[in-house]
This record gives sequence, structure tokens and C-alpha cells, in this order.
Amino acid sequence: MTESQEHPMDDHRYHVWSPLMRESLLDKQVMASTETPVVRMLPTCHVIKVGGRSILDGGKATTYPLVEAISAALIANKLIIGIGGGIRSRHVFSIGIDLGLPTGVLAQLAIADALGNAHMLGTLLAPYGVVAIPPEIFGHLLPLFMQAAPGVIFNGDPPFSLWEHPPGLGRIPPHRSDAGSYLLAECFGCATMTLIKDVDGLYDRDPKEHPNAHFIDEITVTELRERNLPTLPFDRTLLDLLAHARLVTSVQIINGLEPDRLEGALRGERVGTIVRKDEASS
Amino acid sequence: MQDQLLTYLGEALVHGSLTDEVLLAETETHPVLPILPNANVIKIGGQSLIDRGRAAVFPLLDELVGNLAHHQMIIGTGAGTRARHAYSVGLDLGMPTGVLSILGTFVSMQNARMLHYLLAKHGIPFVEPVQFPQLPFYLEERRAVIFFGMPPYVFWQPNPAVGRIPPNRTDTGTYLVSEVFGARSMIYVKDEDGLYTADPKKDPKAKFIPHITVEELEALDLADVVVEHSVLALMKHAQHRRSIQVINGLKPGTLSLALNGEHVGTIITV
Repeated sequence: MTESQEHPMDDHRYHVWSPLMRESLLDKQVMASTETPVVRMLPTCHVIKVGGRSILDGGKATTYPLVEAISAALIANKLIIGIGGGIRSRHVFSIGIDLGLPTGVLAQLAIADALGNAHMLGTLLAPYGVVAIPPEIFGHLLPLFMQAAPGVIFNGDPPFSLWEHPPGLGRIPPHRSDAGSYLLAECFGCATMTLIKDVDGLYDRDPKEHPNAHFIDEITVTELRERNLPTLPFDRTLLDLLAHARLVTSVQIINGLEPDRLEGALRGERVGTIVRKDEASS
Repeated sequence: MQDQLLTYLGEALVHGSLTDEVLLAETETHPVLPILPNANVIKIGGQSLIDRGRAAVFPLLDELVGNLAHHQMIIGTGAGTRARHAYSVGLDLGMPTGVLSILGTFVSMQNARMLHYLLAKHGIPFVEPVQFPQLPFYLEERRAVIFFGMPPYVFWQPNPAVGRIPPNRTDTGTYLVSEVFGARSMIYVKDEDGLYTADPKKDPKAKFIPHITVEELEALDLADVVVEHSVLALMKHAQHRRSIQVINGLKPGTLSLALNGEHVGTIITV
């Protein structure tokens, strides 16, 4: 279709010619036509998400060894480090819910806790040239920071804030710092995405209650959904996001209490549980 | 550790897993309070209205101004044909969905700025997301505000299941504003009477649907729907905004009737 075939004024809308002109972006066939290759903006950088409650809230005992491991990893790797709000976010959720505030407000409030944690981790990693970046400039200047510094820290929460999606069950914001860190890794096409928690990875049952629980090395999104585990060590929304992955098609959950595992994860080795997008749907 | 400062729920949230459905269900015990129960959220279509220029925009703005005395209005803007152009070029260049989301935000911001200048003499401000804390004051004082309809997800926009186009666009961004504030209504102003069985611009046999539930709409599995799919998905989880109305902004008086709560387009409910 060219401009000469159809005058742009034909339907009284002033169009700019484009393949999507006059098409409904809600049309399934039109959408399928937009399945094009995607560039990777930061293909050599790694995203790691440090647990707020599982690592930082444990204080020196859990945080210092991991900081040491991160500082060692920074020698050979560029790291984008996300961190969540941890226990203070859980607390503000409980007060906000008690006061009748909606999910979008809870999401907005939680960002402040993650920012505080980002500053604490940033303080500990400052000697290695890693700084916490304010969220207003973080995304747009990320390529510059990654050229200039060995690593950056951000609040892992996505900027959904008041625009957070109401969850299917309850009031807790579904897109928290695991989801936000993953979305950033996917958009920038980063090399790996690692979630650093206080468990070795996924088990078929809670290992604290079932001593013979089996460890899961590797699992697809569909297999994991089918197992319908009562709890997961990461945001459930992450599974939905991973199902639609284009660039970052797996995430690894590793134990930050065994900080030496970080370097292996950055090399792409399996040192925890790897959750992958289904092969068939890719 | 028993901490007297924690409520029962606080204790459960601090120590429990946020993926535990039993715990999540406990977070629903109190109703969510409506924050702006008197405000109406209105989305003005980009391609459907604003891209038509003054012929469509001026009468609609006159109608908005005419309603200032009667209704509080939070007015969001769509993007439209320039977003389609930017998406097309961006797709060809290999842009990820998050970057396309930024491009869409810029176009809906242009549209918001234009409507804002046209309404400036009535004291109506344009508010960006960082200015949303002032929104209640503006509504009380000036009765209306303009904002850009895109949700501010930027690089964090989730991928769609199919294709590259951001799944949460201006219909979704405005819907979420109506939901989070517990607004009185969510009205989509477009250039068709509402929802049809097919795109009425392309299929003359398309039939008008005056009222439909989200479930019925999903069962119909239409190739083309008048609002973004993610709005329908989000409505199923809504605490407040469980109905939306799509109306024809080219027909004078329709918006005023919709603001008065009348059924003048397609009402979609859960």
C-alpha cells in the first residue's frame, strides 16, 4: 500500500504512512506480522537480583560474603544488580492492606524500600566502583553506565507503581523485584539472569518440612506450572514473563549463602535451579 | 520472634512466602477504599479522534468543558498513527518491546500536550506520572486534568505473547488509573459506536454489540476487539472498575450522556 493508492484523508484521519497505518493493533493477524528479530542492547552484561529478605535483611552474616563474591565477579563481568525491598516492603504491604489501599499504591510504596536496599548494597560495593543509580535516569543511561563502571545497582522493582496490575488473588503487587530485574534483562538482551536467594534452588516439596524432598536441576515453565508447587522462591509472575521471552529464555536461582556459586552462574554453568522457557513455544 | 508492633497480617507477610496462596487470600480481608470515587476517567483515542484534527477534536473538547461544572474528569490520551509509524520503523530496526513502549509514550505525550494547550484557558493542567500526587487538588480546583495514556513501564514493558507491540498501551494505562483510584467510571472515546463483531471500517456486515461480559467476549474470540486485550484480562482481577463503556466521540452529546451514567455505547462488564 502506498500513499498514492489511498489518499490519507479518505477516512478523515490524517495518517502517516506505515505498514501498521489504519490497522487495528488489536488484530491477531496484524500482531503476528510484527514478530521480528530483536537487537540485544547489552549482550555481555549480566543481571543478578540479590534477595532483599533472603540476603540483605540478614545483615553482615549473609551480605558480606556475597559482597565479596560480587566484587570478585566484577573483575571479569559487567553486572547489573537489582535488589528488592525485603522485610520492610512486607511490613508496608501489611499496613497498607490494613488501611484499605489498592495494589497500585502498595507497589508505589514498595519502591522506596528497594531504593533503600539499593543504597545499602551500593555503599558496600562502592569500593569496587559500583553505585546505586536513581530510577529516573537508570534505564536511559544504562549503556553509558555499563561502559563507565564495572557494575550498577538499581531497585529491582519495575516502575509500574500506580499502574501495577491488580493480582488474581489478594492485594500483593504481582510484579516485584524478581519480575522487574528479569524484564530489564530481557529488554536489554543481557547474557544471563540470576536470582540470588537463600535456598539452593527449587525442590519438589519444601525441604525444611520434607527431608527427602528432591532437588530440581532444571525445569521448563510449563513443567513448573504443572507441578503447582504451594510456594516458589521467586515472583510467580516471572513464569508468565519467561513464557514470552525472546532474548533471555532462562533464569537461574542460586543460593547466595554459598556465594562462590555466583561465578559459575555467570559462566552459564548450572549451580542452582535453571527455569527455562518451553522449547516448543520458542 | 513475637513483635508487638506487627499486626497478624504483618507477621504473616514478614515471615511467609508471597507466592503462598493461603497467605495471599488473607490479604483480601479488608475492602480496598476508593481514592477518587467522584472522578471519571476518560480516554480520548489517538488514531480514532485526535488524528482527525479539529473536525473531531474541537467539538469533543467543547463537550468536555461543558461538563466541568458537573463532573470531575481525568483525561488520558491515546497515541495513534505516529505511534504506528514509530512501531513500524522500530520493528524493522529490531527494537525490543520496551523501547517500542517508550516510543508509544512519546506519541501519547504529544497528544496530551496538544489537548492540554487547547484546554489551558480553562485552567486544566497536564500531569505526568510524577505529578500524580497533585491530581486530587487539581480535580477539586479545576475539575479536570490531562495525562498521557501509556502506562509508564518504559523498558520494563512485558513482551506480548505474539509479535512485538507493547501489550499494555493507552487503553490499559487509563484503565489502571480508573482501577487504582476507584474512579466512578471508565469511558473510552473512540470513532465507532462501540464494539462490533468485526472491524466496522472493514466489514460492512459487522454487527453492533451493546452489552457484553468479558467472558462472553473471550468466548467469541474475535479477530479484532475495540479495547486492548490486557484491559479485559485486568478487569477480571479488578477491585473497583468492573465495567467500562466504549462510546462514539464523533457524535455530539454522547460523552455527556455517558458521564451521566447512561448506556450510549458498548458496556463491557465482568
